[in-house]
Amino acid sequence: MKFLRPSRPLSAIASAPLVGMLLCLLLAAAPIFSRIAGWAIAAFLVAAAARLYWNRHAARLPSLALKVVLFGASAGAIAATYGTMVGIEPGLTILVVLVSLKVIETNGERDFQVLALLGYFLALCALFFSQDLLLWLYVGGVFTLLSAALIRFHSGSGSVWRPVRTALVLLLQAAPLIALLFVFFPRTSSGFRFQFSRTLLGTSGMSDRLSPGSVAALALSEDVAFRVEFRDGNTPPISQMYWRGPVLWRGDGLTWVAASPPAPVRRAVPLAGPGIRQHISLQPHGGRWIFALDRPTGDTPRFELQPGGYLLNPRPVFSTLQYDVVSRPENRELALPVDQMRAALAPAMLPSPRLSALVAQFREGAADGREIVERALHHFHEEKFSYSLNPGTYGDNALEDFLFERRVGFCEHYAAAFAALMRAAGLPARVVVGYHGGELNRLGNYVIVRQSDAHAWAEVWLQGAGWQRVDPTEVIAPDRISSGLASFLQTRGNALDPSAAGDSDTARGWRELTRELSLAWDSINYQWELRVLNFDEDNQRAFLMQLGFSAVEWIPQIFIALTAIGGVLALIAAWARRPGRTRRDEAGQVWVEFCDRLAAAGVRREPWEGPQQFGHRAAARLESARDGILRVTDLYSRIRYSPAPPPPHELRDALRRLALTKD
Amino acid sequence: MVPNRNAVGLCAVLLGMWYAGLTQNNGAAYLLCFVLTSVALVSIAHAWANLRGLRVEAHLVRSVFAGEEVAVNVRLSSDRQRLHGGVRVAPVGRGTRAEFPAVPAAGAVEGRMLVVAKTRGVFRTLPVRIESHYPLGFFTARTALDLAAPHHVYPAPLGELPLPINLAAARSGSGGARAGGDDFAGVRSWRAGESQRHIDWKAVARGQPLVIKEWSGDADTTVNLDWAALPALAPEARLSQLARWVVRAERDRRPYALRLPGVTIPAACGETHFHACLRRLAEFRAEFHAAEVP
Repeated sequence: MKFLRPSRPLSAIASAPLVGMLLCLLLAAAPIFSRIAGWAIAAFLVAAAARLYWNRHAARLPSLALKVVLFGASAGAIAATYGTMVGIEPGLTILVVLVSLKVIETNGERDFQVLALLGYFLALCALFFSQDLLLWLYVGGVFTLLSAALIRFHSGSGSVWRPVRTALVLLLQAAPLIALLFVFFPRTSSGFRFQFSRTLLGTSGMSDRLSPGSVAALALSEDVAFRVEFRDGNTPPISQMYWRGPVLWRGDGLTWVAASPPAPVRRAVPLAGPGIRQHISLQPHGGRWIFALDRPTGDTPRFELQPGGYLLNPRPVFSTLQYDVVSRPENRELALPVDQMRAALAPAMLPSPRLSALVAQFREGAADGREIVERALHHFHEEKFSYSLNPGTYGDNALEDFLFERRVGFCEHYAAAFAALMRAAGLPARVVVGYHGGELNRLGNYVIVRQSDAHAWAEVWLQGAGWQRVDPTEVIAPDRISSGLASFLQTRGNALDPSAAGDSDTARGWRELTRELSLAWDSINYQWELRVLNFDEDNQRAFLMQLGFSAVEWIPQIFIALTAIGGVLALIAAWARRPGRTRRDEAGQVWVEFCDRLAAAGVRREPWEGPQQFGHRAAARLESARDGILRVTDLYSRIRYSPAPPPPHELRDALRRLALTKD
Repeated sequence: MVPNRNAVGLCAVLLGMWYAGLTQNNGAAYLLCFVLTSVALVSIAHAWANLRGLRVEAHLVRSVFAGEEVAVNVRLSSDRQRLHGGVRVAPVGRGTRAEFPAVPAAGAVEGRMLVVAKTRGVFRTLPVRIESHYPLGFFTARTALDLAAPHHVYPAPLGELPLPINLAAARSGSGGARAGGDDFAGVRSWRAGESQRHIDWKAVARGQPLVIKEWSGDADTTVNLDWAALPALAPEARLSQLARWVVRAERDRRPYALRLPGVTIPAACGETHFHACLRRLAEFRAEFHAAEVP
């Protein structure tokens, strides 16, 4: 293993900046640790520790051969872990491995610089997964620290805080330029885009597939699904906010999928009632569907209106999507297309004697569809069905198990079972998934809809009335609908646990305070999303139009951007070049003149003579100018060597007064 | 102000950030890209400001032979109430730069720069480049200065011709024909800036201070070093040969006289004479006298 022996020279980097840089890299990589292979994190830590060890003990750095071996081993490990080198997870792992290898071989200014650049890029990677303001502030903090590490490296400063302060000053001075770039730098949304898969993004939310537990799984998540502004001021009551998502047509017991009838409706569904305009800022969920109040009109050309009356984005939503949509509450659809009728009547469960008996009981002597619906709801109400977040898992025969044995479920169980029963009873029915309710943020005057508001309900086609929303949950757990899941859970918890009911005033006050604070923070986050993250091509154009740049096109925009940057740079240059630049060596010039004059008078300074020595020799030769010469040489050596040097103009004055007469 | 090699890496990272912002429609990535761009641009101003208010002085420069290295002590001082980040003072041409990790506010630091003297001559100034990578290292602030540093660069002592010993005088002396001057004459202490070639390294290895061994030959024979005696050589080569003879004769402790067109230095020995001769050679305007060569 001779070739693995250290061959590089000793470490040439001081420990202090190296430690700072390694810490910064660790901070930069921390947010993506959950997305990369565990061994890569370990490799990074080992590399950092090894590099520090080599620094402390003045050991030699590893040889090129060892690094090549390590690189090969890492590439093999990545291939073994992921089976591929392509994709975001292997990509991030490769990045971390490269950083680790660079850490090992870092030994000089250039390497240090490369480490900082890798750190900047690592910090960026965290933003692929979330653009939350808090995360961005974290990334901004890491950015500042990385810059401070560079400043510390270049300034040879022992202090930790001075470089951080300098970095903050840089950031502050850069602020106007950042704003200019932000506003004027041409944004474009066209062109090629690479996208992450849904699982990797870790997005969650309602999907176009409903199975037992899929809504309950979201019920405890405080993540924001979307935020809504009612810009016309006509905010409907919270309990009436049904946010319509995908409509599920094909069912099998408790499991339903979208499977829309093939032909999308081209004509708009006749809707009536007051139009409610919403501005929605939707968090990425990885699917194409988008949410709107029940039921959205089809006049938003950027979205496709699907059969069932919900909207699809042309592309999966992988970044925050903002849109305006108008909804009207009343449905005036009186004729159902044949293909939809067929899809809405397709059996959604396997027949069995018990189920047939139940359905027959609903149909027996019912005058119309409305009565069947009422009987079914009545059944759910009377038969000790209970509403629970943890209904347990249902096996093969889920529907029967749920309806006749356990009778415990969350909203998806009830909606699915209800729709399946209605189909068996001969009524066209479908399941709608989405959200219900939300929380009004008075500070920002918008509604926050969280994942915990996820909901599922059924729709039944009634002759003469069209599609009617039927929400079985309203019958089982009316509180859930009237006041939201959180307070529903809370009151139930209090009922179960009497000690919790007697909350002290302090505890309640504290809860109120944290709630207010979190709402205030959410409102800041929303503004960040609205004004900064969402500033895309269209918004930029609109904003520039407002500023008075009409019909902004690419070329002039680039021109403006460059002019603005140039202007700022010119200002910076003017500032830096203001008078008082690096001064010439005045004392040195006077000294050269002095030597020339003495040489002309016949005394030449020998190359090895210092000023004092030369002064004494010259003073001995030119007796008449003795004092003047000694004064010049004395001043000169004091300027050069004294800790408190006299000002150079004294030296010039002394030379001017020096009168030499040639011997 | 020039972007350096590190700026290429910076551009690559900026492009990567911009691409991430573009393809993912990621406003946060765009913002980080703009922040990095702006901070890098603003750092240019700081790099300039870092060199402002710095005073650079060179201490006395020893005279050396062309092609030799001379150590120059450089003193950086600041009259501003702020710390200056890393500054380098590099000679224009070959040599080793002096590195100053930092210059304290209203203080001074000293460093040593090695300059390779290129051509013979008399110089009043020493051209240097002052560079700083502070604060972020992506741009180099650079300024050229001529430091006031009067010094001579003597012609490189080259040439293969033997010392023109006055043979008649030599024969009459007791030293014989030995021209080498191999007698050990003693040691004297080494002075900073002198060539390291004559240092007694064995003595250093024994832990003694740096000393130079001096050799002497026969002190009786006088050498006439004459420009006119070397008609076959080009002017610069003639000066080099003369310089070599001067060095040789001085080492042998042999009195030597230097005769150049218009100048004659009578035969003598010793440090003052040695430097006086070499200085004449350094100052010599060869182009005025080349025509006189028969």
